Amino acid sequence: MSILKVENLSKKFGQKEILKNVSFEINEGDILAFIGPNGAGKTTTIKCILGLQKITKGEVIINGYNIKKNFVKAITKVGCLVESPDVYMYLSGYENLVMQASYYKKITEEDLMKIIQLVGLENRIYDKVSKYSLGMRERLGIAIALINKPNLLILDEPTNGLDPEGIKELRELLIKLSKEKIGILISSHNLSELETFCNKVCILSKGEILSLNSIKEIKNIDENKYILKIDNTTKVKKYLSNIDKILDKNYIEVIKDENDIAKFIKELVLNDINVYEVKKEALSLEEAFIKIAGGKKIV
Amino acid sequence: MFNLIKAELKKIFRKKSFLIVTIIFILYCLLTNVIYKEMDNILEVDETYYTDTNISNNLDLTNQEDLEEYLNNKTKNEINDIKKNNDSSMEYIIDNYLYNLVYEKNKIKYTSKDEEELTKIEKELAETLKYINNNDWEYFVNLKITNLKAELKEDESNSRLKELISLNEYRLTNKVDYSYKNYLNNAIIAIETDLLEYYNFKSKDNLSKEEQERYNYLQEEMALNNYILKHKVDANNTSNLNAVLKEFPANFGLFILIYVIMISGSIVSEEFNKGTIKYLLTKPHKRSTILASKLLTVLLLIPLIIIFMCLIEILIGGFTLGFNSLNIPILIYNSSTNLIESYSVIKYLSILLITTLPEFLILGVLCFLLSTITTSTSAAITITFLFYLMSNVISNLALMYNLKIFNYFIALHWNFNYLLTKTPNPYNFKPLFSLGIIAIYLIVMLCLTFIYFNKKDVKNI
Repeated sequence: MSILKVENLSKKFGQKEILKNVSFEINEGDILAFIGPNGAGKTTTIKCILGLQKITKGEVIINGYNIKKNFVKAITKVGCLVESPDVYMYLSGYENLVMQASYYKKITEEDLMKIIQLVGLENRIYDKVSKYSLGMRERLGIAIALINKPNLLILDEPTNGLDPEGIKELRELLIKLSKEKIGILISSHNLSELETFCNKVCILSKGEILSLNSIKEIKNIDENKYILKIDNTTKVKKYLSNIDKILDKNYIEVIKDENDIAKFIKELVLNDINVYEVKKEALSLEEAFIKIAGGKKIV
Repeated sequence: MFNLIKAELKKIFRKKSFLIVTIIFILYCLLTNVIYKEMDNILEVDETYYTDTNISNNLDLTNQEDLEEYLNNKTKNEINDIKKNNDSSMEYIIDNYLYNLVYEKNKIKYTSKDEEELTKIEKELAETLKYINNNDWEYFVNLKITNLKAELKEDESNSRLKELISLNEYRLTNKVDYSYKNYLNNAIIAIETDLLEYYNFKSKDNLSKEEQERYNYLQEEMALNNYILKHKVDANNTSNLNAVLKEFPANFGLFILIYVIMISGSIVSEEFNKGTIKYLLTKPHKRSTILASKLLTVLLLIPLIIIFMCLIEILIGGFTLGFNSLNIPILIYNSSTNLIESYSVIKYLSILLITTLPEFLILGVLCFLLSTITTSTSAAITITFLFYLMSNVISNLALMYNLKIFNYFIALHWNFNYLLTKTPNPYNFKPLFSLGIIAIYLIVMLCLTFIYFNKKDVKNI
């Protein structure tokens, strides 16, 4: 069942077009990785979905309700963490949760305690937030996002400030949540964090969707990664494109489809470079992304 | 809605700035009360005490002016000596009746040097001093009554003399001595002093503008002091809690303003600045509901804070100045009926709250509007404060220049204290007209705030 449907979302700031016809869909159990370089429009898209910014053109439908026309019903089952976990620093973590819970109906103390345990803040929850580390605030932010038992969870760069252990816990939490008929939209720079548990990837560049695929699809795009063993890597530099890499003295890594790799090997051989070994590997999500985004490196 | 307002209140009360301002207010309150307590001592003119050596310093006694100064100094010197040896019940007699005698004596001694007159006056002085030293204030009252009655015989229809006689008879029946600490004595002296001038104006037709103002003032003073004598209320005391509360807006108005702009200037903008608005606006409430809850919080808090300040002042003032003056009513002179109206402290403060409220509500809403539009707390607070300062200037200008454009300026309308003090509106506005202007300003400001807030994008950091 469709939880979030974004149709031809466009956003203009004055004359400047920030988003151009962005469309995607999240169903129950989906974890959509929202990927794009800085300034691509990830946060703007998220804010438009949440009604924090006005939509210039297009529709956002959450649980069957249009965010523009029926904001209250659409937003009721949405949990979100946008940009950074901005909470009231002069209150304790617990007071912040109680405050956020007071805007919903019927959230019991038990519910809160469960969420606190879920994000692993039980030891510090009564401390003032001003004494928290960034990672702890991030956990609090996620707790707030979960406070209303949402069926659509929108997390904007939630791994910021989390240590590897925290990231692992978050990953496990999100996988667990996705099994409970929740749809999750998660944006992050850290692509390797996402590829292991996302089932959909949306790549955004300059306000446009470059690619919207399932993880399997994006990894199985025509191109593959090839590791070549050659006699001297210093000679091959001029034949490499900007996404290819020299690994060391003897190994290079190129990303090409089958036709191109044949041509490439031929070219090397014709230029007196000996090829000893060719190994085919699947692209990682990050590499696929870089390829699709036109070779632009992200952070 | 109730939950939303509760959350807003919690945010405000937990902020450090609120706590700090409250602590400063309590200190300010304490100091103000101390000033009121010491007011009499501070205002008391420091009488220079002349010693015999410097009494004639730099004075040329052949010169008429210098001689007069010398006589004054000499007299003051002697009076101070007498005062030191007497208790307060004869204060007024020493300062006036005795002073004149001593001055007369010195004058004869240093100018005419008429031995016969000198002995006569010295004898009179010794006699008077005897009564003074015995604290026999009734002697002086009786003496005065006898003199007044003699005067009255020659001018039987003189109502001023009749009034003076009844004042002195009041002294006898109510045992009012001549101490400045006795408020009844002060009231009697005030009436005695004003009476001549008052009757002069009363008998005169065609008073000039200044004379009319003076006459109105005298009427008010007379009415007030007569009320004090009739009902025996210590209402003119300037150094009790009652007096501090009577001048509450003048004493603490600035602090009310600080509270108002501190709360309304940050309630919207701080959510934007700290990024907490993202959570707030993704809750299942309409934007206008969220804004309305903030607005209602401000509108609710303004009167509550004024009440809170009153209570703090009553508490602190009670401990520094004593609680007993709370029983004394506050007297207000109604210029149209020429009557004194008596209010209990609670009633007075309640009405004061209502008449003062419009000003702070409007400033609060203005600050709220600016806070929403600029999303800058400092801009909202600064602009509102400047507006307040400007409005004072414009209110004064409006008193001087009768320009029509001023009639629609809000600051001329937001103060309804004239209804409480029973004085005419300084700009001759009808209360209903003022309320209309206030309503228009409020509606425009609120419309702007809500339209702007509903359209506002939460910008990316």
